[in-house]
Amino acid sequence: VQPPEKPLQAEEWNKLREDFQLPEIFEEVMLNSMIRCNSPIDVAKSLLTHLAKRNGDIAYNVLVKYLTLCVQQGQVAEIRDVYDIMKVRFKILESGAYNLLIKGLSDSDQWRMALTLLEEVKKIMIPSRTCYESCIKAASRHQEMKLAFELYHEMLAKDVVPTLDVLQSFFNFSRGMKGAELQKQLFGILLYLRENQIYPHKTFMRSIKLWFESIPGGKWRGNLTNIKDSGQCPVCKHQLEDSNLTEEEYSNLSERIIRDVIHGTDTFRKTSPKEFEAFQRFVENRLPFDIVIDGLNVSHMRSRKMQCENLFDAVNCLAKDNARLLVLGRKHMLMNSSNWKQEIMKEMQNKADFFFAENISEDDAFLLYATLRSGKHCRFVTRDFLRDHKACLPDSLTRHLFRKWQRGHQIAFSSVFSQQPALRYDCVVQTTGDTWHIPYKDVFEEKYSYEVPRKWLCIHQK
Amino acid sequence: MQSANMLLRKIVRSSVLPFAAQYGMKKDLFPLSRMLSLSLCLKQDKSCEPSEKLDLDEWKKVMKSGLQEEVSETVSEPEELSSLAAARQTLEMWRLAGRAVPDNISEEQLKTFMECPSKSAKKKYLKYLHIRELHKKSDKRKMDEKRERRLEAQDQASNTDETKKNSFVFLSSSAMDKAYHWRAAQSMIFGQPLVFDMSYEKEMSVREVTNTVRQLVLSESCNRRAVDPFHIHFCNLKDDSLYHREFIKHYKEAWGKLLITVTDQCYTEIFPKDKLIYLTADSPKVMKKFDHDKIYIVGSMVDKSIKTGVSLARAKRLGLETAALPLEKYLLWNTGAKNLTLDQMMHILLTLKDTADWRKALEFVPKRKYCGFVNKPVKELKKTLDLINTLRLGKRREQVENQFAKNHPKK
Repeated sequence: VQPPEKPLQAEEWNKLREDFQLPEIFEEVMLNSMIRCNSPIDVAKSLLTHLAKRNGDIAYNVLVKYLTLCVQQGQVAEIRDVYDIMKVRFKILESGAYNLLIKGLSDSDQWRMALTLLEEVKKIMIPSRTCYESCIKAASRHQEMKLAFELYHEMLAKDVVPTLDVLQSFFNFSRGMKGAELQKQLFGILLYLRENQIYPHKTFMRSIKLWFESIPGGKWRGNLTNIKDSGQCPVCKHQLEDSNLTEEEYSNLSERIIRDVIHGTDTFRKTSPKEFEAFQRFVENRLPFDIVIDGLNVSHMRSRKMQCENLFDAVNCLAKDNARLLVLGRKHMLMNSSNWKQEIMKEMQNKADFFFAENISEDDAFLLYATLRSGKHCRFVTRDFLRDHKACLPDSLTRHLFRKWQRGHQIAFSSVFSQQPALRYDCVVQTTGDTWHIPYKDVFEEKYSYEVPRKWLCIHQK
Repeated sequence: MQSANMLLRKIVRSSVLPFAAQYGMKKDLFPLSRMLSLSLCLKQDKSCEPSEKLDLDEWKKVMKSGLQEEVSETVSEPEELSSLAAARQTLEMWRLAGRAVPDNISEEQLKTFMECPSKSAKKKYLKYLHIRELHKKSDKRKMDEKRERRLEAQDQASNTDETKKNSFVFLSSSAMDKAYHWRAAQSMIFGQPLVFDMSYEKEMSVREVTNTVRQLVLSESCNRRAVDPFHIHFCNLKDDSLYHREFIKHYKEAWGKLLITVTDQCYTEIFPKDKLIYLTADSPKVMKKFDHDKIYIVGSMVDKSIKTGVSLARAKRLGLETAALPLEKYLLWNTGAKNLTLDQMMHILLTLKDTADWRKALEFVPKRKYCGFVNKPVKELKKTLDLINTLRLGKRREQVENQFAKNHPKK
């Protein structure tokens, strides 16, 4: 339905309502379309008046719809009136109304009222992230950074994940402000990005850069750059953090992988205890390897070629500099078939160690085990993103460790044997005190989870 | 004296009436009185403002007026609410906001609601209750309609008052039941065993177990009606397990009289290992034909989350042979998981047993899951499919490379 352009009389509303197919939901539908068309608020008011006259009451959901319209147009006085009415009418409100009220009020000069509302919400539920977002933005807009940070920490404590928008607003509104405490807090946000492996987008990155450069007496300079494969920043010549895990992280990760990925709830799901033991014995006798290859994955690289030829090419390509190779496969590869020629298989077995798992076992689990057991220098080859194995890990911290390790140790072949090397440096926000290096993505939504940004913001003190 | 009495009565009556109008009415007929007063002031408005100008904020007056009494009520109530009451209130607000919330909720359900770990879990649970409530209501309505129709029909029949006699042999439902029981009893002695493995309770949520038991009840009933029923074994069924309790909920006292074997033993303890075949969709082996000498095992598990390989792991651990239905071979699979419900498995196995006809048996696979039966040899179909794929993929690869070149121009 098209909402009218001017306020209507009761009779006119009645007529419209009677012409509508479902008169019971007429008001809702009408208000929805008013919200969509951003109709003048007076029109909505006339509808409410008509409703109130007819029924002597206005339903909660209709009030919320009206409130949506008011918030959309920033009609602060109306928002307050609606709130007063709702407060008297209902003991508590539900989250939708609270979100709207807080959003509406925080954008106005009555933003402090939004804060009291937030306190009210806290009494009955955990406020939504939009509630926090509105309040934090309002506080920082009015330069109450201390209050904004209090809310931010409260939010984190309640496991409500802040949007990038909120984080960005901290940088935007702190520009040019002095204070060691404030600086510490903002560094804290950057560390939050680091811990959660979040990459800011371009505009966010710009806010960070401008804030750094605006610190009075800080003498910070920001440059956009690409990091070399060696991991050196071309601007400040600083060497980025190594992608290797620490000893503790490393042993933690390998333990978790054996426990949660290979054994899981039932060792029989991916392999069998007997087979796993045999594999362990096999690996311990031949340690350490330099490169572990997922044979089946590599063999499917080019569909026009024979599978064993693909594997043969890969092994030849990697078997330089006396690298010790381990190829993982399944038993069916040993049967002479159109895809697996036994002469080629024999030849390969001279160049690399082979382990053949049962046909129904998962060789990926073995791949992870063999690589981790061989030590930090060992890398692995597969095109698989190993997402299903990552998902077996129970907590986000270990999953981040896994990702980091994967970035540093996985060699991927793209279509025609161009090796994508494992990154030597770690792609996260990092600092040495007088330098900051922040990876960023070009567009807000760009980047797959397995990709890392190649563009960096280098900030250093002159 | 009499006249004096009358007079007194009159006085009392006249003084009582306005009193009642003031208090009694307000309490009971509150909205009505408000409407009345409203229409009164409306008229006044019109009389003093003939230009028909709208008072746009009038609704606020309406909403605020007459609320004073309610406010005083809320104040008198205790401020501190128990968590249950608070949850109930939240629910009430959700209902007012038009969310999917059941009209009635029991104490127990409310507790489950509060124990939900996250907001989305809460929403999901309420939606589930809401939909269940809707179903129940519509069922009840249909039942009522049916009863009415039946009563009407009876009325008509009694009006005509004519007992129809026909020459058909009368077969009562109890006679049918007896026949079914006889067959089932026979199957207990001579029938081919079919095992349901009830060892998955740990892998399932409460609702999954409930669903499992419902499917098992359906399977049992269709087995009972079959021409040549299986001898059903529920193995690994522990006393007082969730399965057991749900079964009793469904069957009530009939649970003890079912013509099936229920045991807490494992199937490997009852049957020779080499005769057992574990049916699981994850099995690498595909079933070629139904073997009348083997004992098939079906895992009693409903898997709503993705837990692949759980039943295959069971079979591997016990060193049993496994098999999967040849769904790919006979059906052009469309969407959906290859795991079927337990009653569908039962139908398929019964049909196979009777007819050994895969097409007929696989009719019981839900229609949405496949496009149709494979009519050509699979190899040929696969060839054409591969051809299509290479053509399509070849094109797409080019597209992707072009796109890539566009996005990442060489410097």
